[in-house]
Amino acid sequence: MGIILETQELTKYFGGLGAVRDVSFILNEGETLGVIGPNGAGKTTLFNLITGFLKPTGGNISFRGRKITGLKPHEIVRQGIARTFQLVRPFHQLTALENVIIPCLSPRRGGQGKKDGRVEEKAAKLMGNVGLSGKEGMLAKDLPHGDLKRLDLARALATEPEILLLDEPFAGLGLMEISSLSPLIQQLSKGGHSIIIIEHKLREMMKLVQRVITLNFGEKIADGTPEEISRDEKVIQAYLGKGGMTLATG
Amino acid sequence: MNIFLEVLVYGAVQSSIYALLAMGFCLIFGVANIVNLAHTAFYMIGAYLIYTFFSVLKLNLAMAILLSVVSVAILATGMYRYCIRPVMFSEWSVMMITISLALFFQQLMIFIYGPADRNVEGFIEKKLTLLGAVDIDAQRLLTLVVSVILLVLLWLFIYRTRMGKAILAVAQDREAALFMGINSERVYLTVIAISAALAAASGALIAPTIGARPEMWAPTLGKIFAVVVLGGIGSLEGTILAALLIGYLEVVISFSISSYFGEIVSVIVILLMLSFRPSGLLGKRIEA
Amino acid sequence: MPEQNNRSIFSGERVGLLIALAILSAVPLFIKNRAIVEIIILANIYAVYVASWDILCGYTGQVSFGHALFIGGGAYTAALLNFYFKFPPWVTIFFGGGVAALFGLIIGTPCLRLRGPYFALATFAAAAFPYGLTDVFWEVTGGLDGLYGITPIWPTLEGKYYFSVLLTAVCCGLVYLGGRSKKGLILKSIREDEVAAMASGVNTTAYKLTTFVISGFLAGVAGAFYSHNQLHVGPETLSINLSVLVIIMSVVGGIGTITGPIAGAYLLTIFNEMMREWEELRLLIYTAAVVLFLLFLPKGVLPTLSDGIKQWIKRKGG
Repeated sequence: MGIILETQELTKYFGGLGAVRDVSFILNEGETLGVIGPNGAGKTTLFNLITGFLKPTGGNISFRGRKITGLKPHEIVRQGIARTFQLVRPFHQLTALENVIIPCLSPRRGGQGKKDGRVEEKAAKLMGNVGLSGKEGMLAKDLPHGDLKRLDLARALATEPEILLLDEPFAGLGLMEISSLSPLIQQLSKGGHSIIIIEHKLREMMKLVQRVITLNFGEKIADGTPEEISRDEKVIQAYLGKGGMTLATG
Repeated sequence: MNIFLEVLVYGAVQSSIYALLAMGFCLIFGVANIVNLAHTAFYMIGAYLIYTFFSVLKLNLAMAILLSVVSVAILATGMYRYCIRPVMFSEWSVMMITISLALFFQQLMIFIYGPADRNVEGFIEKKLTLLGAVDIDAQRLLTLVVSVILLVLLWLFIYRTRMGKAILAVAQDREAALFMGINSERVYLTVIAISAALAAASGALIAPTIGARPEMWAPTLGKIFAVVVLGGIGSLEGTILAALLIGYLEVVISFSISSYFGEIVSVIVILLMLSFRPSGLLGKRIEA
Repeated sequence: MPEQNNRSIFSGERVGLLIALAILSAVPLFIKNRAIVEIIILANIYAVYVASWDILCGYTGQVSFGHALFIGGGAYTAALLNFYFKFPPWVTIFFGGGVAALFGLIIGTPCLRLRGPYFALATFAAAAFPYGLTDVFWEVTGGLDGLYGITPIWPTLEGKYYFSVLLTAVCCGLVYLGGRSKKGLILKSIREDEVAAMASGVNTTAYKLTTFVISGFLAGVAGAFYSHNQLHVGPETLSINLSVLVIIMSVVGGIGTITGPIAGAYLLTIFNEMMREWEELRLLIYTAAVVLFLLFLPKGVLPTLSDGIKQWIKRKGG
């Protein structure tokens, strides 16, 4: 399996604050990678850097060997990398279907594109895939939080991405909702997507990922399988301070 | 040498007026997040009031200035309470209502005073000879001196009094200030009153030099915005620096090319700054 | 960003618009009073001013306080070309739109990335620039008085009228259809959440700039038409008063719906002209009315009306 995404010494300083410092990691094609770390570790900043919302102070990002550092967010989407946000960002005054139609209008270059059929049908199909059939006409602001998370997934998939960056997909969801959302993500992975997940709900996330990297204070402090990570002292210290406890791997 | 001294003084006068206006504008914006497009309308009303009290009613100068400034301050607090506060949740509504109020005031001035310019006699009808070389109106010097005094008083108020500290607190973090027991409503009222008073004062001070016109608020608003953009929001020093730059730039260009071009300077400054350095010389970022 | 209601309750919205167009077309046949026809011509022109503004504000959420820049830019371009070079109206109108579009490009590129109030103030200042220029180059532009003797669109009143209807139909029609299209949907998404739109692959900068330029072109065309209608051009076409008037009409009508602002344009133009008798008080009452309006009817006439009708229907039904 080849490397589909790679960062090299990626760095971002805000004034004197090093939000991300010399972070290098790879994502293999078809892999699901987890990114964990305490609050403020730089996880979302990392996503913002990869997706072009922030310009790095240093370092590089490559997608299939091509440098994508410094591209604008919409160009990154066109390359085939899509993301969701930690706090859902729907278009409130538009319907759920319209929310999905909009990303459909900007698909990945070299993908199916607008070739097959009308955009409305494509969007409706995507909504069906994430379990939101029947809610196409509802205004996004009237949808419950769990549905909005699914909608976010549909919107990300609408651009036909090869890589999905999911920022806390389980945030704000109850156990039942998580257990119905989780298989969806697994399916995406089996379907060939390469995925990076930021999550705090470690137990649930560990079930989905093959590998995990850990950030703390902007630096990568660990990189390994879920079992390795849960035993890594540096990781335990980062989360729990000196004292230590075993992270459940579920 | 003559010209140089004239430019020096005229530039200083212009800059000090812009500084007063820009400070007031930033104060309201920084503290209460209100974009008060009627700010320079207060400046205009100040000019008309000094005309009324000093030129028409022949009141004593100090009395005239005091009345003008206090009236505008009261007007401003009333405007805040009845027109701005009800719509404060929406930045856009505040802009709409304040610009409509500015237009209303313009029409009101036309209605009361007629559309023509109103001249105000100088407070001091003298010329001083500076450095034995050039004659400068004492009026302009007076304007400059009083403006600088006002700016210093403002600085002292903000950094040395309790209310001033409360204002700074609210400007930095509204919620935190609330938690500390600071009455934000009172802070807002204070800020509005002070800001309007400063605007009225600058209008009154400059009225003998440029007269009172019903449209005078509009181009000045643009210039104040140029000062704010150049100086950067949130930086008092930046505002003063920017006011100096723009004031002098205007005067220099007026002297060397034409006064009309001087007017346009601020617009060019805005466009250039926004293209290349939107955060201003010293300020925070204002981009989306 | 202004509150707006973009769910049209008139399911027969298009039918309604066609009816309005039919009524407009029938006016000269039934109304023989010249003054009234002139007023409606003016309203037609204002409708384009307003529709071209709303496409920027109502759709991308960028509130421009300098729309007069486009209107006056078009008006003066047309007038100057016609006065000095004898270009016929059709050519000048086209150039008027073009120059205004160019202004849009020049101003839009640095200013569109600014947040709401800053964008508003920047456009406000930008409109002041040409206003000053008309004074500087008064020999050419006629200064405060402006230029007289511009060629009329058409020698007869009826002809003039129908051309104004054509202007409105084409320009407003374009804006309306554009707004209801997929591109319009993308614009709305930019208004709702620009970051999310960017994450959906939308090149928001390009969209905003294009919209600004189109907005400028249409306003410029209408401004040029205005010159040929009044047979005169003056700095009032570049004034802040005009910019704010356009905003007021849109707000009164109901921002973001295109149809709302257009209705506002007709309402206010007629209201304005009817008040001509009280010349001195007119503008005073007008501006006072606007303030009251903003305080008590913030959503605008059309949305408030349609909300009211919806409530009424619910009560009757339930």
